[in-house]
Amino acid sequence: MTEVLTLKNVTKSFRQKTAVNNISFSISKGEVVAILGPNGAGKTTTISMILGLLRPTEGEVKLFNRQPQEKQVREKIGTMLQEVSVMPGLKVREILELIRSYYPHPLPVKDLVNLTGLTEEDLKTRAEKLSGGQKRRLSFALALAGNPELIIFDEPTVGMDITSRKRFWQTVRTFAAQGKTIIFSTHYLQEADDAADRILLFKDGAIAADGAPAQIKARIAKPSVSFTAAPDISLEPLYHHSEIDDIYRKNNRVYVQSSNTDRVLELLFQEKLGARDIQIERGKLEEAFEELTSTTKEAI
Amino acid sequence: MRVFQVQCKMEIIRVLRNRYFVFWSLMMPILFYYIFTNVVNTHPQDEGAWQAHYLMSMTVFSVMGSSIMTLGIRMVQERAQGWSTFMRITPLSDSVYFAAQMAGQSVIHILSITVIFIAGALINNISLSAVEWVMSGLWILLGSLPFLAIGTLIGLMRKVETAAGVSNVLYMVLAVSGGLWMPIEVMPKVMQTIAQWLPSYHFGSGAWEIASGHAPEWKNILLLVAYLVLFMLLSKYIRRKQEAV
Repeated sequence: MTEVLTLKNVTKSFRQKTAVNNISFSISKGEVVAILGPNGAGKTTTISMILGLLRPTEGEVKLFNRQPQEKQVREKIGTMLQEVSVMPGLKVREILELIRSYYPHPLPVKDLVNLTGLTEEDLKTRAEKLSGGQKRRLSFALALAGNPELIIFDEPTVGMDITSRKRFWQTVRTFAAQGKTIIFSTHYLQEADDAADRILLFKDGAIAADGAPAQIKARIAKPSVSFTAAPDISLEPLYHHSEIDDIYRKNNRVYVQSSNTDRVLELLFQEKLGARDIQIERGKLEEAFEELTSTTKEAI
Repeated sequence: MRVFQVQCKMEIIRVLRNRYFVFWSLMMPILFYYIFTNVVNTHPQDEGAWQAHYLMSMTVFSVMGSSIMTLGIRMVQERAQGWSTFMRITPLSDSVYFAAQMAGQSVIHILSITVIFIAGALINNISLSAVEWVMSGLWILLGSLPFLAIGTLIGLMRKVETAAGVSNVLYMVLAVSGGLWMPIEVMPKVMQTIAQWLPSYHFGSGAWEIASGHAPEWKNILLLVAYLVLFMLLSKYIRRKQEAV
C-alpha cells in the first residue's frame, strides 16, 4: 500500500493551549477517512497542518513523502475549507479557469459543472453575488479543479441543503471509486459512518480511536448495567475489576459500563452491594457520542 | 509564464469591474479637472501652464487613489473572505501572485494615466512635448510605489469597513494637503511647511516640474524613496507581529 499521508508525533500548541497533542497516523491511497470529533477536538488544526497552513510545534507531516508546502504536493491536492473562499470581482467561470491554470492536469469546466451541480447561470454570476449554497458549490468545484489525488474537506456539508449534501457524497463516492484518497472532518457520527471506510475519532487534541466505523461504534456505544443503591454504599470494590470500563451516577442510579454485562451482574452479587432494580441497557450510539462531545472544552 | 499572464489578466478585469476604482480614479479626476480649468475661473497668469499643472495634479490624484485604496481594500477583502488562505494551498507561488498583482496594478495605472492625459489634452488642448508627456507619465507610474506600500499597510487591517474608512480619509488628507486640489501657494503658511514633508506633495511636485519643462528635484526623489522604505519596513514589522500569534 502506498502511503499518501503520514503524521508522526505531531503536536501543535498556541500560546498556553495545546490544540493537538502528539498524534500519529498514516493514510493510504484510496482510503476514505473521516476525522470525527466535537468542536475544539483539534480537527481543523490537524487539517491546517496537513495542508501546510500551520507548522506543527513538534513532529512531522508528510504528504506523498514530501513537505506539505512543496509545489509537487500542492499540484496533487484539492481542498474545501470551512470558511467559504470567494475572489471578488470575477465571475464563477473566470475563477474556475484561473484556478485550473495553476494545475498541470486540470479537469474540464464541463466536468466540474456536472460534478458539483453548478448551473450555466451560476457560471455567469460574479462570486460576491452568489448565495451561500452557490458559494459552497463553487468551493467544491475549486477543490476538484486540479483533478487532485488527495482531496481534503473541512466540515464540507455545513450549510448545505439535503439535495446538495446527497449530491456531494455521491460525487465523493465517484472519486473514491477512481482510487482517489479522501479525508474529511465532521462532527456528525452519522455522516462519518455513511461516507467513510475509516474513522479517526478526535477528542481533546488526541486520537481517541482509529478504525472502521463498525469498530468505532462498538467502542463508543457500550452496554451498561444500571441499578439503584443506598447512597452510603461504597462502589469502591467495583473499581478493581478490569472488565469494567466506567462507573458513574446519573438520576439516582448507578451505571456500570462494560462490554461484558453478564460479568458485571456476577460481580454485583459477589461484592454484595445491595443493588436493587437492576437493568441492562444496550448502548445508544448517538447518546454516547454526545456525551463525548459535551465534555470537551472549546479550543482552536 | 502562461500562469502569470492569466493571473495578470484576471487582476486587471477585477480592478476594472470595481466601481470604487472607476469612480474615484477615472471619473472624479477628469470631472475635477474640467471644473477647475473651465467652469471655475481662477484667472491664472499663464492659462496654459495652469492647465498642464492641474492635469498633472489630477493624474497624480487618481494614481495615488488606486494605489492606496484599490490595492489595500482588496487585500483585506481577500483575507476576510478566506481567499488568501485558499491561494496558499494552490500550486501558485506567493511571489507569482504578488508579482501579478503588482503588474496588474501597473497596467491599471498606465491606463488611468493615458485616459486622464487624453481627456485633459482634449478638454483644454494642452501642448506638452512628447518627451514631457512620456516623462511625466513615467514619473507618476514610478512615484506611485510609496503609495502602493501604503496600500499594503491598509491591507493588513482586519475589517473591510475600517480599511475603506481609513484609506478614504488618508487619501483625501494627503491629496488636499499635498496641493493636488489647489496649489499649496494659496494655502496658509503652516500648511505649506507641512506639505514640504508629505509624500503626496513630492509626488505631485515632480510631475509639475516635468510639465513646466524642468527635471524633478532631488528632494522629490529622496523623499519618495524614504517614504517607500519607511512604509515597507512598517508593513513588514506589522506582518511579523501579526504572524507571531
